[in-house]
Amino acid sequence: MSERRPYLRPQPRTWWAHPPYRAYTIRELCGVALAVYGAILLAGLVCLARGPAAFESYRAFLASPLSLALHLLLLAAALWHMVTWFRILPKTMPKLVWHGKLVPQALMTQAATLLAVGCSVALLALVVVVGAWS
Amino acid sequence: MPDTTAKTTIELRILRYCPSTDTEPAFGSFQVPYSDDMSVLQALQEIKATLDGSLAFRWSCRMAVCGSCGMMINGEPKLACNTFLRDLAPGPVTVEPLQNFPIERDLVVTVGDFVKKIESIYPYVMPKVPKTVEEGTYLQTPSQMEAYASFADCINCMLCYAACPQYGANPDFIGPGAMALLQRYSSDSRDGGQQARLDQIRGEDGVWSCTAVGICSEVCPKQVDPANAVNQNKSNSALDFFLSGLRKESVT
Ligand code: SF4
Ligand code: FES
Repeated sequence: MSERRPYLRPQPRTWWAHPPYRAYTIRELCGVALAVYGAILLAGLVCLARGPAAFESYRAFLASPLSLALHLLLLAAALWHMVTWFRILPKTMPKLVWHGKLVPQALMTQAATLLAVGCSVALLALVVVVGAWS
Repeated sequence: MPDTTAKTTIELRILRYCPSTDTEPAFGSFQVPYSDDMSVLQALQEIKATLDGSLAFRWSCRMAVCGSCGMMINGEPKLACNTFLRDLAPGPVTVEPLQNFPIERDLVVTVGDFVKKIESIYPYVMPKVPKTVEEGTYLQTPSQMEAYASFADCINCMLCYAACPQYGANPDFIGPGAMALLQRYSSDSRDGGQQARLDQIRGEDGVWSCTAVGICSEVCPKQVDPANAVNQNKSNSALDFFLSGLRKESVT
């Protein structure tokens, strides 16, 4: 006689903290860092609207060692977010067929990374030129 | 030349569960003689033949084609016939049933739910305009075939489901394997069933449970890239949502 009594093992509650999922968790947390950076920029806008005194104190905060350290950390997180997202970018795209052959996913990642680096360099150059000019 | 016939032993720690006697699964340990060319599946067969005839596990092709022998080996979802003891020596090797699935007995898990999901996405070509035999066959260029060929390699082994934490959290999530099969048909140039399939994968239990963890593609033994199938269909599903207002629904 057969007896069915399926046993479902619970999913470990801390699955996100262990390999192979840890890399995914870090990638997603880096997104939070981007939001924090956005909030800092927004705070600058608010201070600007409030008048010269408020904006001066905002600038003083930006120049403080604490803010510099924070910005370095945020930059590292943003870069990691970029690298890891471009790594999974091909997974979110339709398959590209070129002359009857599939375009390798690594090539898509490289092209997107190059584009992002190119845009960043162009933006930086623009800031430097505008800064020198004004 | 290494001697591939030399016998030595390795310990297998196997999660056992017998529904009629056990309240919960527990590990049992077995010492198995092995040679360099032996797979985990062969070790299980050796145990069943010589040490414990009651050990339950699934297998069929023993060549990574049928998809029956999926199990957790040292915590990773693997095909037992495609995983070799020489890579796991000196052991011990832990062998457990696929994560995220209910255990029927020992290494055998319930597959009914997965089969229902496969059935729900119309796993066959639904021609746009059916042809008669006289009109001839449906033609396709090699480029058009490339667009879906890798998705056609799925062997329904469910390793991707065992690796997916979102499926673990929500068993109603359609999951990576069924989405790979959906994409196999929906991106076939001869197919016209895209809308019918999109209707099946809306919402949380459809594609939207996926948070792009991506481990499903890493564990797939056939390089099917189910993560690609799921995420392409997020775009398709979102587009379908925005276009649905414009579409003239046929009311029956
Ligand atoms: S997509 Fe890969 S891992 Fe998932 S069921 Fe198919 S062959 Fe197995
Ligand atoms: S026995 Fe068929 S895939 Fe392993």
